[in-house]
Amino acid sequence: MDISSVQKLCIDLISSAVQRCRLSEDLCRLSVVLKSSPPIIRVSISDTGTGSCLEEFQDLKCNREGIGTEKWDGLLSIKTTSISDNKIYHYHLNLRGSVSARRLTRLPSILKNDAKFSGTEVCLSISETIDALLNDIKHYFQKMLILKIPSVAAELVIERGDASGLRCQNVFLPNECSPLNFSSSNVERLKSGLEEYVLKHRNSLNNKCDSCFCSREKLKISSGVARSMESHRSPGLIVEAVIAISEHSESLCFRSSGNKTEVLHFKDFSPSSVSIASLNALTSIDWRSYGLMLVSAVDQVDHALIEWESLPPYLHIDMVIHCYHKQFPGKCKYQPDRHLIKKGVKLALDDLKEKHTGLLLSAHAVKICSYAPDLASSIAGIILSSNDVKFRSKCSLLLELSQSQEIGKQTVEDRIKEKIISVIETNDRKPEKIKEAAPFLFEDDRPQDLDPADLYLEEHEGGDDVFSFPD
Amino acid sequence: MDDLSKSSMKFFSDQQLCFADILLPHEVQARIQVAVLNFLKILSFPDPAISDLPLINRKSSNSRVSEGILTDVSWIFLSHSFCSRSLMKANATKAFIRVWKVMEMCFEFLTQEKRVTQRELFYKLLCDSPHYFSSQLQVNRTIQDVVALLRCSRYSLGIMASSKGLVAGRILLQEPNQEAVDCSACGSSGYAISGDLNLLESLIMKTDARYIVVVEKHAIFQRLAEDHVFNQIPSILLTAKGYPDIATRFLLHRMSRAFPDLPILALVDWNPAGLAILSTYKFGSIGMGLEAYRYACNVKWLGLRGDDLQLIPQQSLAPLKPRDLQIARSLISSTTLQDNYRQELAVMMQSGQRAEIEALYFNGYDYLGKYLAKKIVQANYI
Repeated sequence: MDISSVQKLCIDLISSAVQRCRLSEDLCRLSVVLKSSPPIIRVSISDTGTGSCLEEFQDLKCNREGIGTEKWDGLLSIKTTSISDNKIYHYHLNLRGSVSARRLTRLPSILKNDAKFSGTEVCLSISETIDALLNDIKHYFQKMLILKIPSVAAELVIERGDASGLRCQNVFLPNECSPLNFSSSNVERLKSGLEEYVLKHRNSLNNKCDSCFCSREKLKISSGVARSMESHRSPGLIVEAVIAISEHSESLCFRSSGNKTEVLHFKDFSPSSVSIASLNALTSIDWRSYGLMLVSAVDQVDHALIEWESLPPYLHIDMVIHCYHKQFPGKCKYQPDRHLIKKGVKLALDDLKEKHTGLLLSAHAVKICSYAPDLASSIAGIILSSNDVKFRSKCSLLLELSQSQEIGKQTVEDRIKEKIISVIETNDRKPEKIKEAAPFLFEDDRPQDLDPADLYLEEHEGGDDVFSFPD
Repeated sequence: MDDLSKSSMKFFSDQQLCFADILLPHEVQARIQVAVLNFLKILSFPDPAISDLPLINRKSSNSRVSEGILTDVSWIFLSHSFCSRSLMKANATKAFIRVWKVMEMCFEFLTQEKRVTQRELFYKLLCDSPHYFSSQLQVNRTIQDVVALLRCSRYSLGIMASSKGLVAGRILLQEPNQEAVDCSACGSSGYAISGDLNLLESLIMKTDARYIVVVEKHAIFQRLAEDHVFNQIPSILLTAKGYPDIATRFLLHRMSRAFPDLPILALVDWNPAGLAILSTYKFGSIGMGLEAYRYACNVKWLGLRGDDLQLIPQQSLAPLKPRDLQIARSLISSTTLQDNYRQELAVMMQSGQRAEIEALYFNGYDYLGKYLAKKIVQANYI
């Protein structure tokens, strides 16, 4: 079929290795070694996680039909052992063989001699260009770093068997830049992971890009976790969403996608494709209440691409969504839940709005804020054209301005405007239902009868009522 | 009897009455200052908010009628139903700010002890804040909002009424320290009624007339004045050139109190608009309901009425327009309209026709005077 299948196969094998390491709860090492002697690459994936069982590999069979025999002969060489085993089992598995044919060949086990360890090594030979494979693997690891699985240290070793005999090595370690420890929650790790991902320009750099992000404040990050109730239909699912908003003054690095956001998806601690549920969830969120307008959300295989109507020029949004089963990630099959995903993302958005004033203001609030200067100017005008000294000083007191006589109109106006905008922004953060009616300007005549069906336009349409023409 | 209309022989309807005070400039400024202080206070609360403006509803649903028991004057007034205007509601934001802008401008004028007309105010606001004010009507409505908010009369805000009305006839009007003006010698244009209510209040009036005739249209007023009809039957002619403005009503009211024995008779077109004009003189209006109730007068309907139709040719009758029907519907639904007026309105509606006073000229240019005289002498008014 196509070249990507071979790469996908390798990625799948690496992914299983990562899961095994994660489940082991001990610090594990994952090594991917590519020995290139063109045209063949010998791929060896070894980990010190929990031991694997054969079913894992036999499951691979169904998806491998598409890989041409010229790319891969279908042979996997597996060595595995669990902590409790006293030997290392060694198999050759031929995934090309038909069911009835004996595909599994057991090779002599290696005795462990009371040593306590576990791990797996999978080897295969493929016929492939090393660069394409390398790219995919690097890409995979860069994404996996977002999850910041604490117990895995991964390394990628390439041995080029050509004349130069070069050997180079990449090490992917989580927890480089931030103090996380084993007890941090998954979502904390995800947050930290996304932060680094963005700061290091998708983890393509080793350290954060100082030219784009010269101060920590430029990156605003928040998370939301939505949990489903446990029932036989939907086992305890968790959706974690993390959103990062970065503002940089000048895009010195590659940033071309100003109006677009890549939404990375993870499922059960592994990068996943985008589900319909997720796309539906993203399109059904009321972005307007966050001051955003969604043009489209498209599945781009390994991420969803959201296009916005128009973002402020230097604003960039990154998002990651991780769905997993609470207790047995990966073990239960389940459908991703649209409502849960939507809830998780909304919680992250609300969190962002809560923590950062003025961020993600709804379009409505922005519009009202635009009128604040005029309102402030009117009120300041009244204050300053008054000859009543007591009145003016009372106003200064209320505005927390100094009591001296020489307060200029601009100062008063600015202070009033600040306060008005802050009320509008605070109000914007409250969910619709909680918003209370504001107090009246004149409270002493408590209205005996507040007209509930009050529409301002109606009041002014007095045309029907002959007696309502004001002179 | 004179004092009774002033006295508090009014019952429960008074508790419902919502009115605008007539205040001195510094008192209005004090109210505006209280508004600002309250706004800032609420803005600085621990849980701050932008206060809403409580505006008295100027709709028929909030209107009531006071039927004078010992007086023969009824009037429309507004009660305590409010609507709340909030900055946060998208379609009310500008209206909210307009109220504050008008308050600011009035405050300035009051400080400078200036008086302005609505027209002048409109131009000033248009220059200052073109985004907010686009028409005279909008300015007028905002002014009424401020009246409803501060509960003070428009005149107290420093805004003069328009000078629309005219007086002619057997009355002497004297401004303090000025020469008395004999309105019977003013020619066909009459004496212009000032928009300054204080000035009108201070006019010294003397008359030997026996009737006051309120005329709907300027052209009719001019004809009657030119023909010196007020000398044939000693009367005072008054017109607001259409829908009555506060100043004209104010003066009429003053006259009715100064000369309580003079019946006030209205000469309007035979159409719902004419009846509406008559009703406004008689009961007041909702649009300015907080103030207008003060100036209601016992006006009687002289003409044109249903039984005058025989005096005019068929051809002069025109069909009622949709606007006429709208006005008629509104009149019918109002509770103040007395039965005989309702009957007249019903005839208008049934016939689907209207007629103007000018139709009487069919019988000759001097017919109008004769018609008037005849009707008055026969006391043919309702």
